[in-house]
Amino acid sequence: MNNNAENIKTAPEEEKQYSAFRYALGAILAFFGFSSKTHRASKKRAKMVGDIATYIILLFGSFLMVYPFWWMIAGSFANTHTGGSTGDILRRMVWWPSFSMLDEGSNGGLFRNYDVLLNTAFTRVVTGYSFWRALINNLIYSIVPVVVGVITSASAAFAFAKIEWVGRNAVFYFLLAAIMVPGPSIMTTQYVMYNDLGWRDNGLVLIIPGLFGSIMTAFFIRQFLFGLPTSIIEAAKIDGAGYFRIFVGFILPLAMPAIMAQGLLSFMGCWNNYMGSFIMIPRSSLWINLPHALALLENVDTYAQDYAVIIAGSVLCVLPVMILFACFQKLIIGSLMLTGSKE
Amino acid sequence: MQENFAAASEAVPAETVAVEGSVKPKKARKPINQQKLQDNLWGWVFCIPLIVGTIWFVYIAFIMALLLSFTAYNSIKGDIWETLFHLGDNIHPDGAFYWYKYAFTYEIGGDFKMNEMGAYLFNTVFYMIGIPIGMILAVFFAVCMSRDIKGGNVFRVLYYFPCVASTVSIVYTFKLMFSTTGVMNQLLGLDGFQWLDLTGNTTLTWNQLAGTSTPGAFMNDPFWCQGFFSKLVIIIMSVWKGLGGTIILYIAGLSGVNAATKEAAEIDGANGWQIFWKVTMPDLYPTIFYNIVTAVIGGMQIYMEPVLLVGERSSTSGYVSLIWGYGVNQSKVSQGAAYGMILAIMIFVLTMFQFWLDSRKSD
Repeated sequence: MNNNAENIKTAPEEEKQYSAFRYALGAILAFFGFSSKTHRASKKRAKMVGDIATYIILLFGSFLMVYPFWWMIAGSFANTHTGGSTGDILRRMVWWPSFSMLDEGSNGGLFRNYDVLLNTAFTRVVTGYSFWRALINNLIYSIVPVVVGVITSASAAFAFAKIEWVGRNAVFYFLLAAIMVPGPSIMTTQYVMYNDLGWRDNGLVLIIPGLFGSIMTAFFIRQFLFGLPTSIIEAAKIDGAGYFRIFVGFILPLAMPAIMAQGLLSFMGCWNNYMGSFIMIPRSSLWINLPHALALLENVDTYAQDYAVIIAGSVLCVLPVMILFACFQKLIIGSLMLTGSKE
Repeated sequence: MQENFAAASEAVPAETVAVEGSVKPKKARKPINQQKLQDNLWGWVFCIPLIVGTIWFVYIAFIMALLLSFTAYNSIKGDIWETLFHLGDNIHPDGAFYWYKYAFTYEIGGDFKMNEMGAYLFNTVFYMIGIPIGMILAVFFAVCMSRDIKGGNVFRVLYYFPCVASTVSIVYTFKLMFSTTGVMNQLLGLDGFQWLDLTGNTTLTWNQLAGTSTPGAFMNDPFWCQGFFSKLVIIIMSVWKGLGGTIILYIAGLSGVNAATKEAAEIDGANGWQIFWKVTMPDLYPTIFYNIVTAVIGGMQIYMEPVLLVGERSSTSGYVSLIWGYGVNQSKVSQGAAYGMILAIMIFVLTMFQFWLDSRKSD
């Protein structure tokens, strides 16, 4: 009310007269932060209304972003195995399954779907396979190549950013050009190559190529290293440290934020690498990774009916990366922002 | 050896400069600079893993694919090196460009025939509708998030969640959310509408949709009408999944927008809308360009989403399905390689075209 009175005063008085309706509309608009011919809204009010609108939009957006994850979690507690008309439960679910593990008459306890998934489900995909095996495979595929690959990338980045050597630019453009080769277009020959090398059945195909580092990671760390003062390296050189010493003792610790961020991003990429496993590793191998095993689980008749088990598997596939991302979100998003502002 | 040579060649310009600078006609050869030797040695040593990896897994594979695409090599287990080293004897019997010709001429379809590669390419391009939608949404949300509000970081994290989630998990969730009785149909009041099952036995034609009875039109051929709504679901899913990453890039871009110009425009009486279009957008242009280029490159390679959601079908699968289907699944490695080369050329041309547009704009 007070605010309105103020607004009326600021309105020009000897301007032409407005109708009562137009005047009231102006007052209401001003209350919501919009200036009109009759009333001028205060800046503070405009900002407040804008903020509220922004919050509403962003909250609605976050709801859309998070809802499928909630759906996944709720769905993993659905009871789809008791028979009868239970097959439709997941198809109709909106917030919570109409027949969940909490309800009367479902046997197996609340975590029955997870129980089945962890203990029996995956043996039907490949004999001798289990969820724990999938988890270990996934950990191997996403830790070994990522840790080694990030270090090799960082070493290349160090050479590009801080060492003057003959052929540096030529090599740089040579590597840059390789980015333009799309992965799928060399998929078939890579397949034949890995088959010849015998890397397909034992999962080496998802490990060894990663050990050599990735060009994009190297470029990103190179950008980061450009920001570091060269005088540190000069000082270390004068004190008699060799380049290897400098790399291990100075560059790795100093570039740790960039290295960590890139490592985490590649970790998440490798964890979710369904395509690599699907194309390269035969489906009868014990070395398929978790997303691939999940996709195969959907084809197994028993579990195409008992779909909640697959949804439980989806939750367990998403959860580790989600937790990892939640823990390191500042680092990862900061690194992504840096990529954005550099380009 | 190489390093030594490199060091020597580096030393040459310095020497000639020295010769020009001094009057001395003859100069004793300088000893190799120890520091430069170290630089060259370690420069190469640090880069060797990346160089080896790139040559091995990208360049050799690429050259192999290029050469194989001219042959009739069609076995996974055969001796590929034999074929490659005697390439002259192993050219495809029907001409070196047989697979390329095949790609451009082979037709599939019901009443209305269509080039097979064209059909798959059409799907790929259709999925790219998601790129402008995602761009607009991302700019909108990024502008909202870069307002001076509390908790902006929390939103960033929430919006980025889908990006880190596994595609397989997401696809299975969306499959059920878009099922005949799923969340989406309940929300839209479309009971029993088949988003994903418009393939296989169920046919959908334009007549059924519009309630008309025009016979013989292209849109009435079931083969070509199937999968339209599955494609929409895939677009929704990929926009949803990719939004967070794009938003973060735009927030970074927005934070780089010159605040002084903005303030000046404000003082000159520009309203928010004008400021956005006249001040913010031009400054945001590099980010938008970068995003479009990467999105198009990524969009050309779409493969997993359609295959996981509705399976390998000519009415929904992306172009990469051809490479996988022929090259690996049917073991026609040479044909898959030819399709791969066509993809590489297409992506290259598209990217160059975008850079050309960019260069025209800046003139």
